[in-house]
Parts: sequence; structure tokens; C-alpha cells
Amino acid sequence: MNTLNLVLCAVAAASLDICALVLILTAYHERTSGKKRWGRMTSFMELADYSVTYPLNCDEILIGRHASADIRLPDLSVSRYHAIMTVSNGVWTITDIGSKSGIYVNGNLIKTTQLRENDVIKLGNRRLVFRRKGVY
Amino acid sequence: MSSKVTYVFSALFVLIAHGGMLLNVFFNGNYTNISSVIILSAAVLLLDAAYFTAMMFFKQTTYAIDFLMILLLNMSVIFQSCFGGVRLSLKHYITCIVALAACRVGYIFCRNHKWLQEQKKYFYIGIGILMIVILTLTGSRSMWISLGPITIQPSEFIKPLFVLACATSIAEQQKKHKILKFHIVYENVALFGLMVMIFLLQWWCRDLGSLPTFVAIYACGFLLRICYPKAKFSKNKLIAAGAVLLVVAILGIKFAPAYVQDRLHVDIWNDQSGNGYQQSQALIGIANGGWFGKGPGHGYLHNVFAHENDIVFATISEEWGLLYALMMVFVILIIIMIPLINPPRSYFHATMATGICASFAVQMGLNIFGSCNMIPFTGVTIPFISSGGSSLMVSGLMTGMLIACQSPVFVQTKKPKRQKKQPVQPVNYPHQQYSPRRDTF
Amino acid sequence: MKSIKRCQGLMSLVLILFIVGMVALVVKVNRESSFYMINSGELRLGKVYDRNGDILFDGSGKTEFEENYLIDVGNLIGDDKGQMTNTLVSKNIKRLNNYSFTGGLVSSNGKASIHTTLDHEANRNVYNSFCGQDGCAVAYNYKTGEILICTSLPSIDVTKGYDNILELRSGTLMSKNMYRTVPGSTQKVSTVIAALEIMGPEKLFSKSFSCSGTYENMSGNNIDCHNIYGHGEQNIQQAVENSCNPFFAQLVEDDDFPLKKIKSIYKEMGYTINSDNCGYIDIDGIKCEMASTTLIDSYEFKTQWGCIGQGDTLISPIQLMMWQSAIANETGKMTMPYLISRTTDVNGKENYSCETEFSDRIFSSDTASTTKQILLTNGENNYSSLISGYKVGVKSGTAQVNEGKNENSLLVGFVEDEDFPIAFCILVEDKNNTSVKTEYIAKVILDSLSNTYEN
Repeated sequence: MNTLNLVLCAVAAASLDICALVLILTAYHERTSGKKRWGRMTSFMELADYSVTYPLNCDEILIGRHASADIRLPDLSVSRYHAIMTVSNGVWTITDIGSKSGIYVNGNLIKTTQLRENDVIKLGNRRLVFRRKGVY
Repeated sequence: MSSKVTYVFSALFVLIAHGGMLLNVFFNGNYTNISSVIILSAAVLLLDAAYFTAMMFFKQTTYAIDFLMILLLNMSVIFQSCFGGVRLSLKHYITCIVALAACRVGYIFCRNHKWLQEQKKYFYIGIGILMIVILTLTGSRSMWISLGPITIQPSEFIKPLFVLACATSIAEQQKKHKILKFHIVYENVALFGLMVMIFLLQWWCRDLGSLPTFVAIYACGFLLRICYPKAKFSKNKLIAAGAVLLVVAILGIKFAPAYVQDRLHVDIWNDQSGNGYQQSQALIGIANGGWFGKGPGHGYLHNVFAHENDIVFATISEEWGLLYALMMVFVILIIIMIPLINPPRSYFHATMATGICASFAVQMGLNIFGSCNMIPFTGVTIPFISSGGSSLMVSGLMTGMLIACQSPVFVQTKKPKRQKKQPVQPVNYPHQQYSPRRDTF
Repeated sequence: MKSIKRCQGLMSLVLILFIVGMVALVVKVNRESSFYMINSGELRLGKVYDRNGDILFDGSGKTEFEENYLIDVGNLIGDDKGQMTNTLVSKNIKRLNNYSFTGGLVSSNGKASIHTTLDHEANRNVYNSFCGQDGCAVAYNYKTGEILICTSLPSIDVTKGYDNILELRSGTLMSKNMYRTVPGSTQKVSTVIAALEIMGPEKLFSKSFSCSGTYENMSGNNIDCHNIYGHGEQNIQQAVENSCNPFFAQLVEDDDFPLKKIKSIYKEMGYTINSDNCGYIDIDGIKCEMASTTLIDSYEFKTQWGCIGQGDTLISPIQLMMWQSAIANETGKMTMPYLISRTTDVNGKENYSCETEFSDRIFSSDTASTTKQILLTNGENNYSSLISGYKVGVKSGTAQVNEGKNENSLLVGFVEDEDFPIAFCILVEDKNNTSVKTEYIAKVILDSLSNTYEN
């Protein structure tokens, strides 16, 4: 194997390497655009406690006291698995999944309902506001 | 940096990578007539350009996987065209185009997971039909159907359907049915039954090669199922269970009867002309190629049976060098790593991506480690790289599913109505009285 | 969100497992690639040198050798033709192949080589001193383990090739030093060691037995002495010097010398007892057979002969020599012999160099000292004129082979000299038909080696 062959091998390998690197960078770049698109698809909504905000990053958000819940409310009045929020067509829906204390949206006990901006959701003793991102 | 600039750069670098390879073929390749190299280059660059153009018509959130896929497919075209002498491998070229089409199909069908979940029964029906096809049409207990010049391996097509079946089952985990004393989710039973059926089918065909792939998909599905949405097992318990399984497996292998151990470990160097032929030749090929290879077409391994699929890693290693072969594997790894960089937005898609990841990784593992005698040798294929229509098509389809995970849509066919306001029911929650909380909003 | 994280965790796990596998693969291929290459049928072998730089083997075939150049160690060095399997070259082809994973096979100017510890010139002298008589001789430095002489007759000059395998005499294509033979009275060294271990020197030296030329043992068989007039009353020192069979027969029957303990000490020394299979000593890949014997009952004819050196006892010359090292070092630990001092890879970079290794303690250092004294006294009394100029401890032996038709002569021993630590074992076959004496060969060995040591 002479030097020319070795150089060509190196060139082929290096170009593939750089290409792989560029594509990884592309993927990272798309991470931002993906986030934006997700925001558009879900109307840029989030849930807020009086001190914490909870982002809504996937199409099924589990709310409860259990450690595996996506939004964890460490309060005994909240069931372990209390409610689930889903999105479709850009509209969020909250559904009771067998909680003890039920869900009150704007003071009404409901089983499942679509949410509107600035709805106040009461789970046990905890209140969460369904609001647009960046309002506060 | 705007997206357009990014994509132009990505396309450019894919072309440069292929150009580098073709340059290597041109200077180091084993050919008599320069026209074969020109035809190969034209075919590869044309396919690149055509795919980049086609991609403009698909509005997607991300395109990274598309770029990676065309990079890999054309790499495999160049690899396959160089084995033992440069000439365009037309068959592989066409299957690559078919795979790209299959990728589009996978993308279109898997974008809306809510719609997909409603089509669940068709997956089961599809798998059933494929199994019956294998049982009746293949004949002589094999996994292949030959239709004139084309041979189809129906068992490959079970893979994506099985991934989908595993993914659809997770939504059903809340619907438990009490039978006797057990809470049972019907789908779990159905999936387990399906797994057993697949096992029996492969046993019947005397081809357990692709069984680990199915087991891996099933295991991933199972693990994710029992964690959703109500985690029934804590992380520690799962790790403990995994450790116990590992210990049992190690003990099982250690104390297995002699004939099983014989099957598990073939001493290939004492049986170089018999059972160990392919593996020993593959290892010699890798050693012969070294880090930088003998040059495209200058290897010896193209004389060995199944050089273009079962021991393709060694063949590429011999001609292009271990370094290049490792980088090729790395590119496949990036494809299945994309969901880690850019996470899917629903659990369904995440489960699907995990299933595909497991399937790809296990197939590559079986092929590469098998041909290098680290584990028993089985005739499975490396996704995208090995020749073989069925496998390439299914790989394309599964990559399409991965792309769909990146650009999902959330549209439900039946729209739930917002509930009418009901009067607040006078339900007394005792604790409410003890913990009056001021509304701060 | 958490559920998706879980999926990502699982995917990461799968990927990590795969990557770990790939890393293992790369490490494996890197480490074993030269082994794969020797199976490829394409070899580019380098050279084997002796300690002074003489070429003993050239894989490229470019070196021109004179007639009978390699006849002395040809059957030890061997070749790559696959006919001689237990030789230095065939067992170390991997080290000799001009291949590296980075550079591939190098067809010319590869620098892969093996530098052996052998002294080619001394070997040739020793070979010539046999005057064509069958036999073998091996000698090594008992402090470092370097094998300096390892010649065996009949032999063949492998550099000139051989295609008449069927016409060759048996034993031509192997080094007899590696294979078991009847040890004769040299076995008595082992018996003395066992006796010292069990009784201690005082008790052993207090024992005396008489010899009248023949001795009828407890089971009614006659154990004959080579001196038909008998040696009379003697202690252990005299019995060793006289090599008196009846003495040792009576010693084995003695109640202070239980067979069970003998067996355990023999096992420590490496004997395989009451079995046809034997263990192997590994000398740079070359397999050297270990001793074996049959011991059933103290009063039984075959068992007694086993302790005297006939019966079923078989020992390879190299192992006899290794026991001498344990005695000469007064440690009870054998110095492990080796042939390769260093090797270089295809680029000429040294990739292996020898290290002196010792065995586990096979008998106590007190036993070693006492045995050494017995052998030195024997050497002083009986061999000082035959092997003049060296202070040697030796034990001779006469072994009956082919059911008593032929007699082999053996001599094991060592030189008591800090600056010239040589242990040796010499075997001359069919001694009644030749004038070649083992003592003479020992003298040649020591004379030729002392030249190189002074240099």
C-alpha cells in the first residue's frame, strides 16, 4: 500500500467523518425548529402553579402525586395518578383517570373537558392555571 | 443560521462524502474499464440529487434522518458495487430506490399516531397473513419465497408490524379486565401470544436467526408497557430483575448441557473448512484489511459465500479498512440516535422509536459479532448495508417510521366536545376544611 | 415527558451495549489479528537467531546455508512446512510473521524475528561429540533459565529441506529432550529427595543396608545389583555413589518411608502416578512431557523398580535437568527453562523479552542443600578426573530399554560455580555399542559453554 492509496483512504474517511458531524449538527439545529413547531401545534400553552411553571412537552401529560407523574404535585389531597392532559388539533383536553377528589375546572367538577386559556384547574387542594407561555 | 442554509450544507457534505468514496474507487479500485467507475459515480450522484429534490416536496420538521439515510444507501451501493471488481450492482441500486420509496410510505402512515392506533387490528391481521404465507407458500420449511428472479423473505415484514403492535398496546394499559383473580390487559396477552407464535414459526422453519430481534422488540415494548402510565415497578426493582435475569442467563450458559455449549461456541479454527469457514475467512479478511483496507475490489472475501450480506462487515473491512467499516456502523448508530437528540413528542412514537432502535442494534450486533465469532453465527443482515430486497425495504420502512416520529401530527378523528358547565356538586372533601389555601392567582 | 425520557433511557442502554460490543470487537481484532493471519495460508516469516546472531531459520528463504549447517538444532527449530509440529518455529509462527494490523503483511524487509538463547557453535560441538551415536543433550543456565544447548540425534538439516520422510529414522524430526525416556539410576535423585523430605537428613544418614549383589524383596522377587559381588554395608551417600539397587529396594520397604508420602512428594515434583497420561511443561509454546511412574505397594517388585529408575518410570531429559536447578539453587524451586530471549515485530521494535520464572516450591531448601552435597561428593569422588576443571554434582544412570535388549546411559548434573551456573542432562543410547561416554559429552558441553561465558 503506497502513500497515494493511504491519502485517498484518509480523504474518503475524513469526508465521511465531516459529513456525519455536519448531519449531527443539523439534527441539533432542528431541535430548535422542532420545539417551535411543537409550540405552534399546542398553542404555546403551559401550566402554572403560584411559584412553578410546568411545560407541556409531549402529547400526554400525567398529573399526580406519584414520582413517575410528569407533573408531580406532592400534596396528599392529590391522587397518585390524578389526571391526564392530551392534545389534538392544537386543543388540550384534561381527563380524570380515577382520582379520589376529582377535577374542578373553573369551579366545575368535570370528568373530561377541553381547556381554554386561563382556565383554573383544581386538583385536590392544588390549583393550576392553564395559560399561554410568556404571559407572566 | 437559517434552516435552508443548514440543509444546503448537509446536502453538500453528503455529496462530498460520496465523492471521497468514488475518488478512492477511481484511484484504488480494481477495474479494467474506466466506464464502470463513471457509471457507478453517475448512478450514485444522480440518486443523491433526485432524493434531495424529492425531499423538497415533503414538509417535515426535521430532515436529518433523510440525509443520513441517503448517505448510507449510496454508501452501500458503492460498497456492493466494488466487491471483487467495480461494476454497478444494478440489483442493489434498484432495491435502494425501493427502500427510499418504502421510507416515504412509512413516514406517511405513521405520522398521526391517533389514527394509527385505531388501525390496530390490521397489524394483527397483517402478521397473521404473513405467518400463514410463510407456513403455506415458502415450502420446505424455509423463510424464503422465490418468485422467479426475486426472492422474498416474508418474516422480515413481520418486524415493522410487530413494532407497531407493541407500540399500539401501550395505550390500552388502563383498560384492565378482571378474569378470576388477575387483572389482565387483553393486549398484553395478545402480544405474548404473538411472540410465542413467532417463536414457534421460526422453530418450525429451523431458522432462529432473527428471533433475537423479535425478542428485543418485545422486551422493549414490555418494559415500556409496564411502566406506563402507572409505573408498577420502580427503577430499582427493574434493575434488580435485570440483574437476576443476567445471572440466570450466565449460569444457564455455564451449566448448559454439552451439546448446547457446542452449538454456542464453535471452534472455528479447528473447523476452518466446515462450520467455521465463513467466520474464519471473515476474521482473516478483517486482519488482512487492517485499518486502511486493501482497496475497493482488491479483497479476497468476495469468493466466500454470503459475502454481501452475512459477513458484509468483514468484506467491507477488508476492502475499505476497519476504520471505514466502523464509521459506517457509526452512521447507522446516528440514525437511531436521532430520537435522543430530537425527542419524539408522544409516548407512542417514543415506544416505536425504541422498538426500531432495538431492532436495528440487535440486527447489527448479531451480524457483526456473529461473523467475528463473538456470538453464534446467524444469517441476519445489517440494515441498509447488506444486500437483500426484503431486508432493505423493511429497513427503509422502519426509517420512515423514525422520520414520522420526528414530524408528528396530532389530529383526532373524533373530536370530544367540551363538557357543558355543570352546577358544582356539593361534595365535601374533609381535608379541604383543614387546609384552606389562598388563591394567589 | 418522563415516559419519553424512559424510552430515551432504554434506547441509550441499547446503544451503549452495542458500542461496548463494538469496542470489544476492535480490541479483540487488534489483539488476535496476527493469529488470524497465520491461518490465511499467506505467510511472510522473519528470521530466528541464536544468542550470537547466527541465523537459525530464515522464512524468506534468501539466506544460503552451508551443508549440515543446522543439523545440531534442526529438529528443535523446525520449519513452517507443517511436518514438525512441536518445534520453535511452528509454535511461534505468530511472532515470526511479518504482519501488523496497521501495516498489513510486509513482503520484503520485514523485521519480525526471534532471538533464541541457544549457542549454535556450542550445540555443533556437542552434536559432533556424539560421533553419530543416537542420544540427546540439554544444558541451561540454572539461575536464569536460558537453554543454551539442546541437541538431539539422529537429526536432519532442515534448511536443506526433506521429502523422504518415510526413509528417515524414527526420532529424527523431534528433539528427544522433550520426550520421556527411562531414567535409570538418575531416578534415585528423586528417591533421595523424597527420603530427605520424609525422614530428614539425620535419620536418612543413620540408615544402612547391606548389598550382596542381589536382594530378595518382601514379595519374593529378586532385585539385582549391577555389581554381582555386592557392595556390602553402606549408607545413603555410598549407595548413591555406587548406584546400589538393593539399598534402594530396602529403603522403599522401610517403615519410615511410607509409600503414601512418597507419592505425594512425587506429585509435588510433577510426576503423574499410576496413569498413562502425563502433564506438559510449556517452553515457549513447545510441549515437553512431564514424568510419570507406577507406584502401587512398597513391597511390590514394580514399585521398587519404579523408585530405582526402571519399571514404568519415564522422565524427559529437560525435567531431569530442571530438578537439578532446584537442587543447585538450594531453594527447592525449579528455574523454568526458555528458548526465546526476545522477539521483534515487523518494524523491528522489541515486543517481548524473556523473564526468569521459578516454579512453586517442590521440596524444602534443606532437602535441596543435602541432596546437593550428596551429588557434589559423588562428583568429587568419581568424576573429578573425567570432567576435569569443574566442580560438578552429578548422578549417572543406566537404563534398560527395549525389554532389556539395549542399555542407555544417562548423566544429570550441575556445575557449582556462581559465574558458570550450568545444569545439564545427557542421554547416550545403546551405550554398549559405542565408545561415546556421557562424561565426555558433559566435558564438551562445559568446555564449549565456558568459552562463550568468558567472552
